[in-house]
Amino acid sequence: MGTLLRTALRNLSRQKRRTILLSGAIAFGIMVVTIINGFAGSFLENVTENFGQLLAGHIFIEGVERIEPGNEIQIIRDDEALLAAIDRSGVQARYITRRSDVRGTLVFGGRTASQQIVGADWSVESALTERIILEQGSFDGVRAGNGLIVGRPTADLLRLEVGDPVLVRLRTITGQQNVGEFRIAGISFDPGFVAGLTAYADRAYINELLQIGVDEYRQLGILLSTLTEIDEAADRVFEEISRELAVFERGTEDPDSNPISALFEQARTEEWEGVRYRLYTLNEIVSDAQQIVVVLNQVSIVVLVVLLGITMIGITNTFRMVMFERIREIGTMRAVGMQKQQVLKLFLSEALMLAFIGVIAGLVLSAIVMAGLSQIYIGLDTPIFVLLNEGYFTFAVRPGQAVLHVTLVVMFTLTAAWFPARRASELPPVEALRSTN
Amino acid sequence: MRIFRTSTVYGLCVLLLVAGAALSAQTPDFDAMLAEIDQLGQFGDRDFSGVYTIVSQVPGQEDSVTQARLFRRDRTDEFVLIILQPQIQRGQGYLQSGDTVYFYDPESRRFERTTLRDSIQGTDAQNRDLVRGNLSENYRVVSWEQGRLGNFDTYILDLEATGTGVDYDRIRLWVRTDRPIVLREENYSATGRLLRTLLFPRYAQVGGQAVPTQILIVDGINEGERTQITLRDPSVASIPDGVFTRDYLERVSR
Repeated sequence: MGTLLRTALRNLSRQKRRTILLSGAIAFGIMVVTIINGFAGSFLENVTENFGQLLAGHIFIEGVERIEPGNEIQIIRDDEALLAAIDRSGVQARYITRRSDVRGTLVFGGRTASQQIVGADWSVESALTERIILEQGSFDGVRAGNGLIVGRPTADLLRLEVGDPVLVRLRTITGQQNVGEFRIAGISFDPGFVAGLTAYADRAYINELLQIGVDEYRQLGILLSTLTEIDEAADRVFEEISRELAVFERGTEDPDSNPISALFEQARTEEWEGVRYRLYTLNEIVSDAQQIVVVLNQVSIVVLVVLLGITMIGITNTFRMVMFERIREIGTMRAVGMQKQQVLKLFLSEALMLAFIGVIAGLVLSAIVMAGLSQIYIGLDTPIFVLLNEGYFTFAVRPGQAVLHVTLVVMFTLTAAWFPARRASELPPVEALRSTN
Repeated sequence: MRIFRTSTVYGLCVLLLVAGAALSAQTPDFDAMLAEIDQLGQFGDRDFSGVYTIVSQVPGQEDSVTQARLFRRDRTDEFVLIILQPQIQRGQGYLQSGDTVYFYDPESRRFERTTLRDSIQGTDAQNRDLVRGNLSENYRVVSWEQGRLGNFDTYILDLEATGTGVDYDRIRLWVRTDRPIVLREENYSATGRLLRTLLFPRYAQVGGQAVPTQILIVDGINEGERTQITLRDPSVASIPDGVFTRDYLERVSR
């Protein structure tokens, strides 16, 4: 076997340029799919982490109060039992947020824009001030009562400047019309996605407009230290909450339905009264993003197959050429006692070595490219910030996918070399020696 | 001294009684007035139908015109509103059945839950502006004064919501002193800001009831925005039961 591989390697080195071109094509394919694989690997993690910081939590708990059938309000009036349940669950929270949000229409200079206004406790939510990049203004204004931070598109649409007074039409928690008088405290860079439709304010003022108590709020968020804990931590917290408080069941029997929609549907369709709590996770919110990862995986396979298909034609043609070039050599080897199977193995070993060199080169190249890309600071003030980790690209190559790609490369290369190799092995020695090539 | 004290007390009591009686004679029964206002806009056992034209004016934009046919059956709390214009929204409709209001979109062929509070086709007009009101059930008069509006003497009533099931926390009404006809209405937010003003310059007698045939709505927040609602072809002719159904909305929208 060692002799076979050494001979194969020597044969490949006889035509260096050809070997470099063929293994280079394989390396390019491996490099592209490994980068896609690495990007897909970190995509979900980065999206989840970024949304976690914007939404102030990885696990969310909401209280739902039924005033009358068909008339429910979302409010947490007293969180003592909830906090005790979280404590008992043993889940280590990075921090816990309490937010009140409301859908409102901003009115300024005869123009209007619809926004989700998030009321946050700015003394606690330090991560939010790091996540929101202000183009103008400061966070001091929003901490001082009726300040409002809007995104750049909203500011442009309404022609707002920092310091402008803006009216917001909204509804109280029980549905009465209300109007808030805000002052623009800051204009944030447009990060795209849902964050562009969100404005931020102080929770106390939002509570006043919702007509709920100063200590009441609408959503409790638990920010965890690591994303891998989300599902397990959510199960533990839910179990503890459900021991003492009425809850809406998690999960859905229909695998095609969205788990959060199913959770919200329970409040409308089930017979109940009083207060019930619902718990959902960021993983459930970004479940659609998981589909993107599946698509990326499929794309990487298609890219690899297309690239390998093209390379395969090259390999087949090259090996046919090699066979004709070495036809007398094959005849000589067969004449001195080399078996058909050994000729076949020699050609296939050359193909295997070619694939091996290409795979190694491709993996090295992809590592260099990924390392280079992950050193470039893209920044948080970019529409693709949600795909980044602290403003940098990150890559996490999934071993399973990488093994699949390497296996495909080896299979394709061997298949491409198989037919010329078989033809070479089938050549009668006399005919091969008689050849004038 | 004792006699003087007793006579003073008696005198004061008599004075208080007289003053109280005089005051109560001047203070109208506002609960009854609100009930009368509600009653005047209700058709009881009879059905009501008519075509409403809603013209919405927004500064810097072309006027938008929405035309809709309304069928009302107050005794069962039912109504159907079918959009006739603009062409792009033709066939859309609202259906109230008891406490539930549905919006039907012929494009998606789906019914979605909505409320009487929702605006009609994005204008300042709300579904509740076209159907019977429930002032006496939902509001109480907290203060009043007398004033004049145009050629009419009016009671100016400040109403406060008694519960949370209404759109406006506070309402101010200008009601004619001679008849329980509302001439002007102001709607306020929970924080006391004027949201919209409704003017009712014209009423028509339809089946013995007073129905506003023209309503002018001035937006209190978006300066310059106003909406005019006019009613034509009001009728109290009987409406077939099948009109107040989802099937009917689906059928007429085809």
